[in-house]
Amino acid sequence: MRAVLASEWLKLRSVGSTGYAVGAAALTIVLGIVWTLYVVSLADARGSIRAAAPEEGFLPLVQVSLAVLGVLAITSEQADGMLRTSLAAVPRRGRLLFAKAAVVGGVTLAASAAVLIATYTISRLIAGDRALGFNDIGLLDGLPTVLASALSVAVLALVGLGLGAATRSTAAGIFSVVSLLFVLPSVAAYLPAPWNTRVASIMLPNLVPQIAGDRLSRRLGDGVLPPWAALLVLIAYGAAALLAGYLVLRRRDA
Amino acid sequence: MSVLAAEWLKVRSIRSSHLIVGIGLGSVLLAAGLAWMAIGMYEDASPSMRRSARIAELEEVVVIVPQLCLGILGLVSWTSDRVLQTSLTIVPRRWPVLMSKAAVAGGLGLVVGAVTVFGTFFLSRGMLAGRYPVSGFAESWPILVPTSISVAVFAVLGVGLGVIMRSTAGAVAVLVGLVYVIPMIGGNLPEPWSERLGSVMMGALPREIAGASLASSVYGELLSPVAAALVLAAYALLPLLAGAWLLRRRDA
Amino acid sequence: MIELRQLTKRYGDTLAVDELSFRVEPGHVTGFLGPNGAGKSTSMRLVLGLDAPTSGQALVNGGRYADLRRPLHEVGALLDAGAVHPGRSAYNHLMCLALSNDIGARRVAQVLELVGLSGVARKKAGGFSLGMKQRLGIAAALLGDPGVLMFDEPVNGLDPDGVRWIRGLMRGLAEEGRTVLLSSHLMSEMALTADRIVIVGRGRLVADATVAELTAGYPSLEEAYMALTASSVEYGAAR
Repeated sequence: MRAVLASEWLKLRSVGSTGYAVGAAALTIVLGIVWTLYVVSLADARGSIRAAAPEEGFLPLVQVSLAVLGVLAITSEQADGMLRTSLAAVPRRGRLLFAKAAVVGGVTLAASAAVLIATYTISRLIAGDRALGFNDIGLLDGLPTVLASALSVAVLALVGLGLGAATRSTAAGIFSVVSLLFVLPSVAAYLPAPWNTRVASIMLPNLVPQIAGDRLSRRLGDGVLPPWAALLVLIAYGAAALLAGYLVLRRRDA
Repeated sequence: MSVLAAEWLKVRSIRSSHLIVGIGLGSVLLAAGLAWMAIGMYEDASPSMRRSARIAELEEVVVIVPQLCLGILGLVSWTSDRVLQTSLTIVPRRWPVLMSKAAVAGGLGLVVGAVTVFGTFFLSRGMLAGRYPVSGFAESWPILVPTSISVAVFAVLGVGLGVIMRSTAGAVAVLVGLVYVIPMIGGNLPEPWSERLGSVMMGALPREIAGASLASSVYGELLSPVAAALVLAAYALLPLLAGAWLLRRRDA
Repeated sequence: MIELRQLTKRYGDTLAVDELSFRVEPGHVTGFLGPNGAGKSTSMRLVLGLDAPTSGQALVNGGRYADLRRPLHEVGALLDAGAVHPGRSAYNHLMCLALSNDIGARRVAQVLELVGLSGVARKKAGGFSLGMKQRLGIAAALLGDPGVLMFDEPVNGLDPDGVRWIRGLMRGLAEEGRTVLLSSHLMSEMALTADRIVIVGRGRLVADATVAELTAGYPSLEEAYMALTASSVEYGAAR
């Protein structure tokens, strides 16, 4: 297993797309700095302001970039035929997918945690003791939400990997992830109350605030899941997608 | 003309295009499901709750599905065209190939857009009328027409992004960024930037073209109908022209 | 040794491989011939466990490929030279495969040297010519120093120099006591390289003999092949 992990780790870091994806996610740090400087200038002019936290506002950028990385980890091999060579080297298909999942999960967790914690910390440091709304709680008190966000990004990348393996197409894999991340939640929000909140509570992007014990949004209010249940649902998303991917990979001719 | 026919055959002959168009059309069923759930809630509600029951215009909620589908169809028609090398030697100029792909994707987008938007309108109004307050066709068609066209705009935008990015993953990511990520980020900006950015987002344009209200959304409503129509056209044409220009430079 | 026993593979209503049985023995080059669509590539994929047989068995050294723990040490295969990530360097491409089977960097450098790609090892494989991709694919097959080797059309895209090099390489590998299965459409080349010939048509075995036996009744291997496969060149004809 260690050998297969080492192989998958080299595969991931030896292609350009990984750099682009992580780079796009890391753009959040730059955007976060620009954002905070702008908000600070507004606050200096008006006294105080209620602004969104940059690590939350730019989270979709991190989510999309690293979910694409997860999808590509399998679909790029299917597109160019490398998957056959890989399976000739590692005939146990479950083992190959598991190694990919471990590497994709580890890399995206590390990358998203680094990007989000950096964005979070730098913005608070720039803000200093000005009242910007997002910095009204202590530096350490905000960390659980940041870590939950990072975890959700890693799960999302695994969902991408699983759905990429299941659909066997880059476009279909990304479409599936985007549906889970944006399309379904935005449709669910239009349901009449209280169903909008109930359905929205099990939507992937809404699990982070529930894990951290925050409300979903101004319009939807509090979610229905306690933190532990939200965490379980998050893990279930990743597990279900990987299982679907495994079943397709195992049954289909390569 | 023969280039156009060839591109139409290319789209028609791949199974994935049928799937993409099928999912796009399937959004009508998604809307029907939402309407059905809304009816169930209405039946369970108390008389006072029934009087205040409201529901969003479902064709505007689910149109993101055909939009995204046709956008992907458009970009895939470029990025995964393995015959491209061959077809470019048959047709020496790349310009007609690109324009034909845009025309095919746009035409298909117009048909899928019209079918899903008008189909969803009539189906959901038929289901919801008598329970929820719903708008009639006479007042809604000025919004329905640009909403249908927006699906075609996505298809052409997809072709343009495919040419510029040259990779399926890159182009889909940028498409998603343009449609979902930027509006979500924009909604968090302080005024007046939130309103300004929200007014030029694709999701705001159909209602701005119709001069209808966007008060309850993350979008802005600063543009006049003519300006909004121009921005909508720019979404389709600017990436396409940029792609055509890049194409000429790359293999010069 | 490679052994096919009543191997059958059906895709939908097309029978790609039809009760195919033959053995490829070590110590000589076995040529694998047949018209396009005769089932050569499918048979090779079935041996590697990439496709699941509808019925029958494909065995390598008496066992199933999927049960091998570090398969590259026992079987090396070149199926599709184009199957490389265009953005990955030749060295990294081989290293990815090597790592998964506990093969070290020294061996990767060795096989790159052997196929003559050392000078471009750090270049992206996407920029390689078909001939260079063939060499890269051959390097991948040789990584684990395996006793069984399969090459699907390895001479496609190679220059005359490369064709001669492949001929020497194949014969050398067989002389070392390895099992070598080689498919090609170049009859004159095959006559120079192979000792035994297996011919398939429409998924069925047409001939399994030595080159000498096949050419006994005909002016050349090509004539023998044409005569033997005359009835099997129509694709997907109703049976």
